[in-house]
Amino acid sequence: MPGIVDVSQLVKTYGDGTKAVKGISFNVSEGEFFGFLGPNGAGKSTTIKILTTILRKTSGSASVAGFDVEKDAAKIRKIIGVQNQETVVDEDLTGRENMILQGELQQMHGQALRDRVDELLKIVDLVDAADKRAGFYSGGMKKRLDLATTLVHNPKILFLDEPTTGLDPQSRAAIWAYLKQLNEQGITIFITTQYLEEVDRLCRRLAIVDLGEIVAQGTPADLKQEIGADSISLGLENTTMNGGTREKAKQVLENKFDRVSNIVNSDIGLTVYAKNGSFLVPEIVRAFDDAGIKLSSITVSSPTLDDVFLKHTGKRIRVEEVTSANYRGMFSRRRR
Amino acid sequence: MSFLLDSLHLFVRWMKKLVRNPILIFFSLFQPVIFLVLFTQLFNKFGALLGPGVSYTVFATAGIVLQNAFSSAFQSGTAVVDDIRSGFLTKMLATPVNRTAILFGRILSDAFRVVVQTVIILVLAYALGVFPETGFLGYLLVIFTVAAFGLAWSGISLALGLKTKSAETVFGIAGFLTFPLLFMSTALVSTSVMPDWMKTVSNYNPISFAVNAMRNMITGCPPGQLSSNCTTGFDWSTILQAYGVIALIGVLTLGATLYLFRKVVS
Repeated sequence: MPGIVDVSQLVKTYGDGTKAVKGISFNVSEGEFFGFLGPNGAGKSTTIKILTTILRKTSGSASVAGFDVEKDAAKIRKIIGVQNQETVVDEDLTGRENMILQGELQQMHGQALRDRVDELLKIVDLVDAADKRAGFYSGGMKKRLDLATTLVHNPKILFLDEPTTGLDPQSRAAIWAYLKQLNEQGITIFITTQYLEEVDRLCRRLAIVDLGEIVAQGTPADLKQEIGADSISLGLENTTMNGGTREKAKQVLENKFDRVSNIVNSDIGLTVYAKNGSFLVPEIVRAFDDAGIKLSSITVSSPTLDDVFLKHTGKRIRVEEVTSANYRGMFSRRRR
Repeated sequence: MSFLLDSLHLFVRWMKKLVRNPILIFFSLFQPVIFLVLFTQLFNKFGALLGPGVSYTVFATAGIVLQNAFSSAFQSGTAVVDDIRSGFLTKMLATPVNRTAILFGRILSDAFRVVVQTVIILVLAYALGVFPETGFLGYLLVIFTVAAFGLAWSGISLALGLKTKSAETVFGIAGFLTFPLLFMSTALVSTSVMPDWMKTVSNYNPISFAVNAMRNMITGCPPGQLSSNCTTGFDWSTILQAYGVIALIGVLTLGATLYLFRKVVS
């Protein structure tokens, strides 16, 4: 059975020769909550733009609800809702006017349109602010309004490019809860995001893209299983920037534990991947004790999507961004 | 059908944006009004230089009306740049909206705005004693002509905006063009006081064509004759020439705009 989104050997090469998408294939079934993940510059937004008929593909094929993205673009535009990475609302118009305009561009009008807008205003909790100009909205309210404008015409499938980036935790939770609700009503959701816990909780299936190619796809459970190892997070005392304790600890682990499949640096010390990690804990504690390495904490967890992402792309999706930002913050403060 | 409806919806959007940012109207009306109220007083005696019994205020009204259309038209391009930059254009393109209507709605709002501002200027001019010798029809024709000019002229800024996607560039070029084009035309002075080389420039300056036609509608004089008690009425050859030039500019600038817009949206 063909999916509601069908992509085969899709290629996009920009005018300047940049190969943003290098022959990817995947499909999304109707009613699915589909996560499309990847580091910055992986080709996510390019793919979404092609699927939403905004950008022309170079080669390969792509269809939405059985309609070809180029030949039947007009038909696709009637059944999709698209939220771009940037929040896009007209700040001179009120929330209500923004929604009405989007409805009108979808050829809706009259009482039916007004009723639908009222209904959506309630759902995204903007009733009180409906007749205020969007320019006066907070970031979270704008994002909710933006989402609501994409829903006016009851789309069958929603394309969301980072719908919660830059929002405070409450607004984020509200949007995810609402997306879940929409999906339960039967709307297919195609989403790119950096929030892997939510992906894990909500997405039925996901694909990971890196450098324009799909490096993994499947259900979150399957992908985590593939890792085949638990992660043991070790908090090390006296972890310095130059990693003196870290190096020593690494050596101990590498020399004494052949079941360890991978060791990576973490914010607090090291993360060790190994099968049946919990059995290793006492041995690690003993070994570190003998070597005089002080442990401040030790946590064992089954693999997360973070680990999946790290394995396939060699990058951490979010944690690293935050760390480097902190770094910069620290340095600029010191200089002052 | 969807073309007209979409154009209308987007026209309404631009109108709302304009009314809610009155500063934009202020900016484009400020200069013409200063010219009309102060400049004409300052150059009051200049009228006598142009010919016996010529009122400079009457003479300059056509030029000031045009100047207003000129500066308003240059905001069109920056508005479209804003929509490209903010992602609003992309958002619209993911809907079934008629592509050409996106442009047409904006151009329509430009023309409407020029009409409103022209009416304001003409009312002020009336208070200063300027009334078209050709009567009420003259009023309507002045308004129609300047709207047509504004339409054609906004194509320049739209094309620039679509090509450079930079509001600063559009503003810069607008500022660069305004004074040479305006002063080397018959907008504020007659060719009789210009040096020969400038006369030549002015004769080929599209601004002069439009101004000459509107001045004829206001003074009822044939071009070149400036005294304020003419009885010629409409000088159709001047008027038709003006429409020819406006149509030519319109075809060129709006054609370029449409071409560049297609490139942006596909």
